[in-house]
Amino acid sequence: MRIAADRVLGVALIGLAAFIAAQAFQLEVPFSYEPVGPKAFPLGLGILLALLSLVLIFRPGPDGHWPHRALALRLLLVLVLLLVYAVLFTQLGFIASSLMVVMALARLFGATWGKALITGVVMSIAGYFLFTSGLGISLPAGHWFDAFI
Amino acid sequence: MFDFLIEGFGVALTPLNLGLALLGALLGTLFGALPGIGPINGIAILMPLAYTLGLPAESSLILLAAVYTGAEYGGRMSSILLNVPGDAGAVMTTLDGYPLAQKGLAGPALGLSAVSSFVGATIAIIGLTLFAPLLAEVAVMFGPAEFFALMVFAFSSMSVMMGKDPVKTAIGAVLGVLIATVGVDSGSGVLRYTFGMPELYDGIDFVVMIIGLFAISEILLMLEHAHRQDSDGTLPPLGRVFVSLKEVLACKWTMGRSGLIGFIIGVLPGTGASVAGAVSYTTEKRLSDKDNTFGTGNMRGLAAPEAANNAAAAGSFVPMLTLGIPGSGTTAVLLGALMLYNITPGPMMFTERPEVAGGLIASLYIGNVVLLALNLPLAGVFARVLTIPRWVLVPAIAILAFVGVYQLHSDLFAIYLMLIIGVFGYLLRKLGFSLAPVILGYVLGGLMEQNLRRALSISGGDMGILWQSGISLGLWIAAASLLVLPWLLPKLLPRLMPTTK
Repeated sequence: MRIAADRVLGVALIGLAAFIAAQAFQLEVPFSYEPVGPKAFPLGLGILLALLSLVLIFRPGPDGHWPHRALALRLLLVLVLLLVYAVLFTQLGFIASSLMVVMALARLFGATWGKALITGVVMSIAGYFLFTSGLGISLPAGHWFDAFI
Repeated sequence: MFDFLIEGFGVALTPLNLGLALLGALLGTLFGALPGIGPINGIAILMPLAYTLGLPAESSLILLAAVYTGAEYGGRMSSILLNVPGDAGAVMTTLDGYPLAQKGLAGPALGLSAVSSFVGATIAIIGLTLFAPLLAEVAVMFGPAEFFALMVFAFSSMSVMMGKDPVKTAIGAVLGVLIATVGVDSGSGVLRYTFGMPELYDGIDFVVMIIGLFAISEILLMLEHAHRQDSDGTLPPLGRVFVSLKEVLACKWTMGRSGLIGFIIGVLPGTGASVAGAVSYTTEKRLSDKDNTFGTGNMRGLAAPEAANNAAAAGSFVPMLTLGIPGSGTTAVLLGALMLYNITPGPMMFTERPEVAGGLIASLYIGNVVLLALNLPLAGVFARVLTIPRWVLVPAIAILAFVGVYQLHSDLFAIYLMLIIGVFGYLLRKLGFSLAPVILGYVLGGLMEQNLRRALSISGGDMGILWQSGISLGLWIAAASLLVLPWLLPKLLPRLMPTTK
């Protein structure tokens, strides 16, 4: 059999279905007033998912276009950036973390250094005041920022 | 019978709601025009902000619905000017819209599409006003068994009509329903699939889900398209800005027919603007393409899908408002937004919360007029939006997504979850899934299980209750035939009509 994206997906989904069913079996139901209980629905879904995945394995569709190596690397870079953004969001505060991440993202999407810097400064500072003063959302200011206001 | 509409206009005409309808129409048109940000993304990004503003349910629904209808208007910009559909509903618009722009008729094409959008939407909103209360009266008789059967019908109709691959659509829906089972089970208090994480006890938050699934995955997808030729600031010349009355009148029957087709397709659960556009275009081609100019810049070929996709957008409110079953991915998101306000849309909404149902319908009338007034003279201004580079767009989406999710509970868990869901959404899209079934399954999953369990509690575990009543039996048969017909028809048709081909 040809290794198609859909076959890999089908096998993975059957694994997921098995996991779901196994988890559902392990649920301990103290006492139920109703005949169905919390197990049956996920179990049924697991079975349905497994059946549909079988169709996928036996009749896979076209593979589609997957990113080549350079692009995959850039994708990973964007993901890491977003993750870094999440980590720094509360640590450094909204303005500093947004400034850095917006600049990096803008660079990744083809802006020059100058344009990226302007985008970063405008978005982080204007965004901060728009969200906090304009919409009343409390954002982490970052401890270093306290000294300025 | 139309009390709800009078009350609705009372609600929709308050200064706040009028302003929100205007704001939504404007933002929606912009979102629709921006590459990659369709109606769902627009709503996903705006919803948490609308929620933090502390707007009442009907006001935030008015805002979000205006974004939805506005985005259907805006989606045509890039279709006509750049041959790139802004969202799925605008695919057919490219066929005759882009050739018109190449002939130097971009301005009239934009004008005509605004007028036909207006006509199509008006037909559908009138249809909504007439049919929704009637359907709601029927739906009041629905018990849990009927609702369960209805949801099965909705999923099977979606599998057949939406996307290219029915199996993948079904898998997407199942995955969505499974995601909805995470958290405390309301029936028994048992924790399901929480893996010891207290943050998951309440289930996966709706805002986290849609922002991750749509906005984050869109950022990743945009990166792939980044190397492709971006619009480098050059748009085709618009030509004269206004469409002439003669050109509009030449398309009047086209608009009427397509509006009706769009409305009917929009009402069917699971089938949205993209199907409506395709069906109306092929119908119109058969009916009025006498000189074989469809596809080369025929005004009718532009008017048909534009009228139909706006009509479908309005029509998809019918099942959402009366049955609580969304007719499209976008209405599924709106339904989820209503649930944030603890309102479960359904037949009782017209009697219990007429200000919400009526206010929404009334605001659709108002928004539609506003959109026409905005889009006719300002087409040139909106067209400039297309030249916004991705290096501005992507960081802006990222900031809005992070802030929107962070403000929910001010914790990072939701943000990590959003990123995980984003990767999941990206992979699904790369594998040829459409995301609408996933979100539909996620929104309806909880209700589906509740109704199933309620029905079986009533019968004491006897499965027979699920197809005992005439309504539910009919829905099961309809669902089954929908699944079987696409297999049977190609085999039967050649026998019935041996002369075709």
